[in-house]
Parts: sequence; structure tokens; C-alpha cells
Amino acid sequence: MQVTLENVTHTYQPGSPFQATAIENVSLTINPGEFLALIGHTGSGKSTLAQHINGLLRPTTGRVLIDGKDIHEKGFDKREIRKNVGLVFQYPEHQLFEETVAKDVAFGPKNLGLSGEEIDERVKEALERVGLPYDQVAEKSPFELSGGQMRRVAIAGVLAMRPKLLVLDEPAAGLDPQSREDMLSLILGLHRQGTAVVMVSHSMDDVARFSTRAVVMEKGKVAMDGTPVEIFSHAEKLEKMGLDVPGICRLGILLRDHQLPFPENIFREQDALAAILSLWKGDRHAQ
Amino acid sequence: MLNNITLGQFYPSNSLVHQLDPRMKILLLVALIVGIFLAQNLLAFLPIILFLILAAKLSTIPFAMLIKGIKPLRFILIFTFVLNLFFLQGETVLLNLGFAQIKTEAVVSAIHYCLRLVLLVLASSLLTLTTAPIVLTDGLERLLSPLRVIHFPAHEMAMMMSIALRFIPTLLEEADKIMKAQTARGADFESGNLLNRAKAMVPLLVPLFVSAFRRAGDLAMAMEARCYHGGEGRTRLRVLKMGKNDGLSALVMAVLIVLTVLCSRIY
Amino acid sequence: MADAIISLDHVSYAYEENGPEAVRDVSFSVPRGAFYAILGQNGSGKSTLAKLINGLYMPTKGVVTVCGMNTQDEKNTWEIRRKAGMVFQNPDNQLVATIVRDDVAFGLENIGVPTEEMPARIDQALTDVGMLSYAQRAPHNLSGGQKQRVAIAGVLAMRPEAIIFDESTAMLDPQGRKEVLQAVQRLNREQGITVLWITHFMEEAALCEQVYVMHQGRFVLSGSPREVFADAEALREYRLDAPPMARLSQQLKKAGMPLRDGILTTEEMAEEVLRLCK
Repeated sequence: MQVTLENVTHTYQPGSPFQATAIENVSLTINPGEFLALIGHTGSGKSTLAQHINGLLRPTTGRVLIDGKDIHEKGFDKREIRKNVGLVFQYPEHQLFEETVAKDVAFGPKNLGLSGEEIDERVKEALERVGLPYDQVAEKSPFELSGGQMRRVAIAGVLAMRPKLLVLDEPAAGLDPQSREDMLSLILGLHRQGTAVVMVSHSMDDVARFSTRAVVMEKGKVAMDGTPVEIFSHAEKLEKMGLDVPGICRLGILLRDHQLPFPENIFREQDALAAILSLWKGDRHAQ
Repeated sequence: MLNNITLGQFYPSNSLVHQLDPRMKILLLVALIVGIFLAQNLLAFLPIILFLILAAKLSTIPFAMLIKGIKPLRFILIFTFVLNLFFLQGETVLLNLGFAQIKTEAVVSAIHYCLRLVLLVLASSLLTLTTAPIVLTDGLERLLSPLRVIHFPAHEMAMMMSIALRFIPTLLEEADKIMKAQTARGADFESGNLLNRAKAMVPLLVPLFVSAFRRAGDLAMAMEARCYHGGEGRTRLRVLKMGKNDGLSALVMAVLIVLTVLCSRIY
Repeated sequence: MADAIISLDHVSYAYEENGPEAVRDVSFSVPRGAFYAILGQNGSGKSTLAKLINGLYMPTKGVVTVCGMNTQDEKNTWEIRRKAGMVFQNPDNQLVATIVRDDVAFGLENIGVPTEEMPARIDQALTDVGMLSYAQRAPHNLSGGQKQRVAIAGVLAMRPEAIIFDESTAMLDPQGRKEVLQAVQRLNREQGITVLWITHFMEEAALCEQVYVMHQGRFVLSGSPREVFADAEALREYRLDAPPMARLSQQLKKAGMPLRDGILTTEEMAEEVLRLCK
């Protein structure tokens, strides 16, 4: 499945004194199997963009296409979008409402009008995919769980729709280091199983570690679009936009400034380890 | 969905009316309401109308903005007018429609009721347009504080109002987010019959209440950490002082009430 | 310690009688003017500890002393809260008023500061956190970082000697975190306000003088950031992680590279790599 944004502009409250253009003339295609990181400042328009991907917001001008079909055209079944594109908001645990975990996860599939059997199956599967043992949590109230577990339940609620594309807005916000690591490996696992992922993130280290493509937003426009290697090779440009670059990237810049031949395309810890060791060993052999 | 709702309808300005003591403005409104109900005939409304025109002029509030306050009322107005027109008894027949007779008294009374409604709304909007919510709660608290003698919680009430004002935009934003999140899971808030729609609100209302309770707990803790311990021994940043203009406006209001009563008698 | 602003002596706390202890036998003291960090995962007891210091909770065992006053003595409560202010996690849930200036006044009103004194103190507090130009704004129109700075101003106006930050940056974006942290560092440096910084961000703890790591209600590691972050394995056991450069340096050392101890920042790492590879 392919989602395409075609010259999308979104203006909030057009014609009123509060009129504000959140994104302007954005064109973007999300391909199957991609892990796309959406980067930018608060207010750069990335959340607005994310909400267009599954049709929650309607472009003021421009089109949003799923497999070539305009989703806002008359006759397009909105359920097709909900089925195919899952959206996980920031702090998704704040949307839980049912008496039991199983019922909450079942909310989405129920709205799709599936059979009871199919719903049960999907709930089980979704809870498993987020690493929660069905037997232990299914009948519990979601409000009894820990914060990290609640977030997993909320994500399971979206996964139960079996989306082909999962959009996540800051899925690790507010989590402590270990829960954050767990959450990110969960998302990476979903991606490996074939779900395309769009992840809004502030953490450049996460972007460097996981994504296959990064899109940088600035003032409502796409400022950069490419592989992490391409994006982070423009470290200065990123810093000028007030965005961080991964620590390893900055290390590379510092080293190169002092004429040490540290390769430019390195921004992951393991690669840096190998590169530094080879520099060090090469140096010793030369002596 | 619930974007950018401006809270209250305060219109910032430095006009004479804005600068009046909020307590005086609340009292003036009360007096005006009494006046509106005392007016027995159309002539008696004249002093009130003149007073409102003067106040509106002095407040520098655009006329269109005042009118906007009446707009939502238009159906009630029409309903009241029609109801009075057809069902009120009188002696002189003004118009004979065959199926019904319209009496002169009914026309007068229809105008009277509608005018009363419009004036009430105009007078109250004038207060909220010229007084910031925070100042308004302050004024209310001060006005009601003598009632503490009979254990009326004036301070607590004002505090509650001000916290509510502070959190309405935050909760609206939150409601918008939850609605969107549930919509993304296929929830439908906009179609179906009344019962279905009410049911559809559950996935919105439960999280919203949970969040409100969580916020209330946090806020209580934060207030305590900032040494809040009720109204006892509290000083205030905003001190209300009655000035010359407040006295003057009270005087004008007194004259106006007298005129209204006189007009009602004479006619 | 003679000039300890905050000191805890074998303090334990349980939410319910005979229930599990959220804080277990914790002793430590924070000297005047210090900038200390408490680091721990969610549920490690660090927030409970913060509330014990501010007198929001009373210790089940042990004694908490703030500016020489025992928190258990009820007549000290308001003085303790004034002298050791607190800033919480959620920026939305600690502002009371609909206008920034009135919110900063809230604490002053509570402790009965005369009306004439208020404007100057409010303006000064807002200036100190760089928010004076927002004095007439409504809090809900501010960014997270700005709201937290208003909350700090609200505490600051009460002229505290110490401020306890209970995960005050956890819900902010990187920009907001930077703003808040810089404001707090300036207050500590320029006004000598003692800071107790509770967090789960390693990079933030690395900037403090002394770090206490909390796990299951206890202090399990303490020392300078260099000392604490040198032990990556122990940190992982406590569900924490060393800052990236500390982690990298440990791996390099394992591979035989003779890096010096205690590398925390990118600059330090670059310096060492250059020394060894050039």
C-alpha cells in the first residue's frame, strides 16, 4: 500500500483572525515497508502532517491518495483508511476507556464491523505483538496497569485494526530509559514483520538507529528528505534549524575538524566503535 | 473539531467602562436587571436603552460584537414574539386574520417581552466584554465575602471559578485529541440516532474524566506545595478600589431607576 | 553537615500502613548552593522522595530536615514549603491562574506578602526565567518549556533557598528541556539557589555535581557523574543507561583502547580519540 500526499496545504481556521497555515505545499510518498522518521521542531507542522496521512484532517488544498485513490473524494469508504493506516497519538494511554484490556483493544475491530470470533483472534494477536501476555492482562482494567503497559495496550488497540501503515507520534515520550528502549524495539519488531512505520520523533539518536528514511519539516514545509546518511551528512544545516544531530555525528565532525579521517556516513554507536578502533589500530600498525 | 475556542468574550481595551471596579459593574448589572423588570411600559425602557447606548459607546466595543451576543437568541425571540402575538388577550382588534385575531395589546406585549430579553442579554454581554474573567471572579469574591458570616464559601467559589476558567481550554484541547484518536480507531461521533450518539460519547467522556481527575490531583498537590491553605490570611495582587467614576456611574444608575419607575407610573 | 539545606536521616515511607515501602532507609544531605541529581526509572521512589522533602508526605521512619526544620512539626510546614519550593512534571497541571502574572502571584498571596511588594517580586521572578514579556499572556497559549519557566517563577517569587524539580523536563521537547535546564543552571550559579534535580535523563544528571541513583526505594549508587556513569553494567541493572559517550568509551576500552576514565561528553571523547590516533 502506498500513501501519497500531493501538494497538501492545511490552514487552520481559514478566514478568521486565528488563521494559521500549519503545512504548505507538502508532497510526500510513503512506500510499503518503509521506516520513515518525521523530524522537526514543535510547531513545524509534523503532527498536522501525520493527521493527514490517515484522513483525520482534510487538506485545505491538495490531495491525499491511498494506492492512487483520493481519500476525500465522494464514495471513498473512510473505513478503508482506518483499516489500513493506524495512528498512535502522543501519550496514547490517555485514550483508554473500557472496563477491561480486551474490550479496549476490541474497540477498533468492532467499529470495523468484524465478527466476534475474528475480533477475539485479533485482540489476542495484538496483545501478543506488543508483548503483553493475553491470559494475564485481558480481563484486567487498563487503569490498573503501569504507565508503560497502558501505552502498550493503547498501541495494541491500533494494531488490532491490522494496519499496513502505522503512524506514531512520539511513542517514547515520557518513558524512562529502559521502557523507552523496550518501546523502540517493539516498534522495530513491528516494522520487521512488514508494517510500514512513520514515527514522529525528537530524538535524533533514535532516528539514526532505526529509520530507513528521514523527513525534516521546518515551518510547515519539507526541508529535507532522504536516508539518515544523507540527512545527517548535513549536520550543520540541521543545527541551524535548531535540531540536534546524533552524538556520534557531532563526534565525527569534531574529529574531522582535526584532520582525522573519520568517515562521514557514521552515526550509529556500533559503526563508530568499529571506525575508531580501525583508526587506532591502523595508526599503531603504521608506526 | 474544537479548535481555538476563545474563552469568555472579553474585549481588551482601556476604556472608562473597562476601568470601572468589577464590583460596581456587577452591582450596576444587578440594578439594570431590576430596572428592566420594573419597566411596565415601552416608554420606561427608554432610560435603560439610553444608558446602555452610552455605556456601549464609552466601552469602545464595536457595535457588531454586541449584536453577535444576541444572534444565538433569535429563535427564542421569534418564538416569544409569535407566542405573545397570538395568545395574548386584549380588547382592540388590530388585525383580523380569520383564523386568529391580533390585538393591539398583544403587539405591545410581544415587543415588551422581546425588548426585555434583548436588553438583559446586552447588559450582561457588556459586563463580560469589558471585564476580564479573572477580574470578574475577583469582584464576585469580594462582593460575596460579607456572606462568610453565614458560612458562605465566597473565596472557595471564586477559586473554583478561576481554576475552571484556567482548565477549560486545556480540557477542550484534550477532548479534541481524544476524539481524533478514537476516530482513528473507527469511532463515529457524527452519525446515528440520538441513543447511538450518546453511546458514542463514552470513549470520549471516560478518558476525559480520568484525565480531569488526574489533573485535579496534580493541581491540588502543586497548590499545597505553593503554600495554599484556603482564604485565611491571604493577601491579593489585585486590589479593587472604587474611584470617582464608580461613584458617578452609581449615581447615574440611581437616577435611571427613578426615571424608569416614574415612567411606569405615569403611563 | 553543618550547612545542609536538605537532610534525610534513615528515612522510609510507605503509602499504606504496613504496605510496601516506596522509600527505604534513605540518608543524604544537600549542602547550600549545590546542584544534585536523583536518577531513577519510573517507580523507583524518586518522586515520593521529593514529596517527603517538601512536607507533602511525612516519613514513616526517620527524619527529614529542611533548613534546620523538621518536616514532621506541623508549625514548620508553610515555612518549609516556602524555603524549599517544588516544580512538578506536568506543565499544565501546576498553573492556577488564567494570566501568567496572576499565577506567579499565587504563592505570594498564599504566604501573605503585602500587595505593594508583589509587583516588583513578580517582575523580578519573571525576568530571572526570561518570561517577563509573557506576563499578560494566558498559560494555555504558551509552550511546555515556557509554562515550566512560569512555574519556576512562581516558586522563585517566594524567595526560596532550594528548589526541588520533580521530573520537570520529562514531558518537554528538546527545545523546552534546554530552556528549562539553562534557566535553572543560571539560578543556581547566579543566585546560589540549591537545586535537587530529579530525572531519568542521563544527559541532565551528567551536568550535576553529585548523582544519586535510586532503585526500588533505595540509593544504590552515588558519586560524581563520572564515577556513577563509569559503571554501565550496574546502571543497566537499575534499568538506566549511561550517556552515549560514556557507553562508547567503555566499549572502546573493552576492545583494548587505553582511553582515560570518566569520559562523558562528545568533546572529551574527541580529545581522547585524537590523542590516541594522531
